[in-house]
Amino acid sequence: MKVIELKNVSFKYDEEYVVKNVSFSIEKGSYTTIIGHNGSGKSTIAKLIMGLLEKEKGQIFVDGLELNLENLYKIREKIGIVFQNPDNQFIGSTVRDDIAFGLENHCIPHEQMDPLILKFAEKVGMLNYLDSEPTKLSGGQKQRVAIAGVLAMYFNVIIFDEATSMLDPQGKKEINELIEEIHREKNITIVSITHDIEEAVKSDYVIVMDKGKVAMEGKPEEILLREKELIQMQLDIPFTLKFKNELKKQGVNVETNLKMEGMVDALCQLNLNK
Amino acid sequence: MPIEFKQVSHEYSPNTPFAYKALNEIDLELAEGKITAIVGATGSGKTTIVQHLNALLLPTQGEIVVVDKTIKSTEKPKNLKALRKQVGLVFQFPEYQLFEETILKDVAFGPKNFGVSEEDAQEKAKEALKMVGLDETFYERSPLDLSGGQKRRVAIAGILAMDPQVLVLDEPTAGLDPQGAKQMMGLFEMLNKKHGKTILVVTHDMEHVLDYCDEVVVVERGKIAMHVSKEEFFEDASLMVKANINPPAIIRMRTMLQEKGFAIPNTVLSLEALVKALKKGVA
Repeated sequence: MKVIELKNVSFKYDEEYVVKNVSFSIEKGSYTTIIGHNGSGKSTIAKLIMGLLEKEKGQIFVDGLELNLENLYKIREKIGIVFQNPDNQFIGSTVRDDIAFGLENHCIPHEQMDPLILKFAEKVGMLNYLDSEPTKLSGGQKQRVAIAGVLAMYFNVIIFDEATSMLDPQGKKEINELIEEIHREKNITIVSITHDIEEAVKSDYVIVMDKGKVAMEGKPEEILLREKELIQMQLDIPFTLKFKNELKKQGVNVETNLKMEGMVDALCQLNLNK
Repeated sequence: MPIEFKQVSHEYSPNTPFAYKALNEIDLELAEGKITAIVGATGSGKTTIVQHLNALLLPTQGEIVVVDKTIKSTEKPKNLKALRKQVGLVFQFPEYQLFEETILKDVAFGPKNFGVSEEDAQEKAKEALKMVGLDETFYERSPLDLSGGQKRRVAIAGILAMDPQVLVLDEPTAGLDPQGAKQMMGLFEMLNKKHGKTILVVTHDMEHVLDYCDEVVVVERGKIAMHVSKEEFFEDASLMVKANINPPAIIRMRTMLQEKGFAIPNTVLSLEALVKALKKGVA
């Protein structure tokens, strides 16, 4: 079942089209990554889906509802977004108030709010900062708070627009694991706009944007081994592909596997210098 | 001209309910002419450290010697302007600070502010733009029309136009696509190798630390947990585990292969060396 569907959507800033005739759909319960270089139209797509920008042409459906003025607020109850720079998203004067704000807007009864705030502040590792001012936190801590706020609302769909870009690798790993956990347990659809090719490797479905269009889409193993096209679109290639290329250069032929574990197994079978 | 932190502490909002000690009696000596990475978990104090370098923050205790100036808790350095000229600090998302009508004006703003004549400021701005790879076709364009990566280059050029000896960058590649990020790191490498700038870069990207930096400083809960050469850092995987750092892909692969019984020395830090080591011993 499709939870998000775009049909021939276009959008322009001034005279320039940044999204051109884009159609794709996202399966309910999937973990979809959208990759593409800066300026390829990824973030614009997210804002169009949220109704933060108005499309020029085409149709957008969220959970069966067409995005229009009449449905806008119904749609925003189903879908949440975390932006890259959460500074633009903070409202509360403390971390606690900020998480509470979204819950209040969703008419969560007061007695249910506190446990939710505590639960998600703990999950993102910000329990000790509930009374801190969001603006005084570090970039990565702000991202943690913004993510807690959105997770606590249990939307059907959450869009993460490079929402962990300022986290340290370990923190990023923890937050990504948390997002995966919520995704699995609550069957929440995740749309992650990311530059992290390794995150795309682990996702269910990959959409590649280039110059405002969908350049490729499919399962990771169908998309992420297409080295020439990825490089042409100024994207990174998976580490395992780089490894395979170096092996080949030095005369060792081994089948490419997107996962590191798969490469290790393949190398074990070659029985090199054990 | 080393940079030295002596027993430096910093507490935010002291004597309020929000009081928070971000740095706790740190000692740190940074050598000249190197690219040093400052790494550590979010909130560990990295940004607080770098903001001390041009006296944007003053220590609440201890002192910092930068270039030939001393920054103390009790007194601002006598010549703050000269210090800020020698130490260029580039914030997170510096592109939000662009404001002039044209790129050339924006970049020339810094030197003009330091009393350089309009003409000379323009010359310096042109040189700086050239360094960051933006040619004359950009001079009269609005900085707001550029892509994220280009905007960031303009912001960095604005700092370079003041010709600082030390360039401090706080997460300069956050939000850039992988190629943009590589070009950005390549720019710092060039500024270091060709123009002899001492570079301090706060980063989370361990691949960048491995590819571009000379030394690694690990900050942990307001303390310096480690200060080692890049080689030392990546050769000993236990150091990364200790610092709670997720190693770069090449190091994870090295460890996985070692665990499967492949004889790969810890000195392997590149794909080329990894494959060579794998092939060794095969007839």
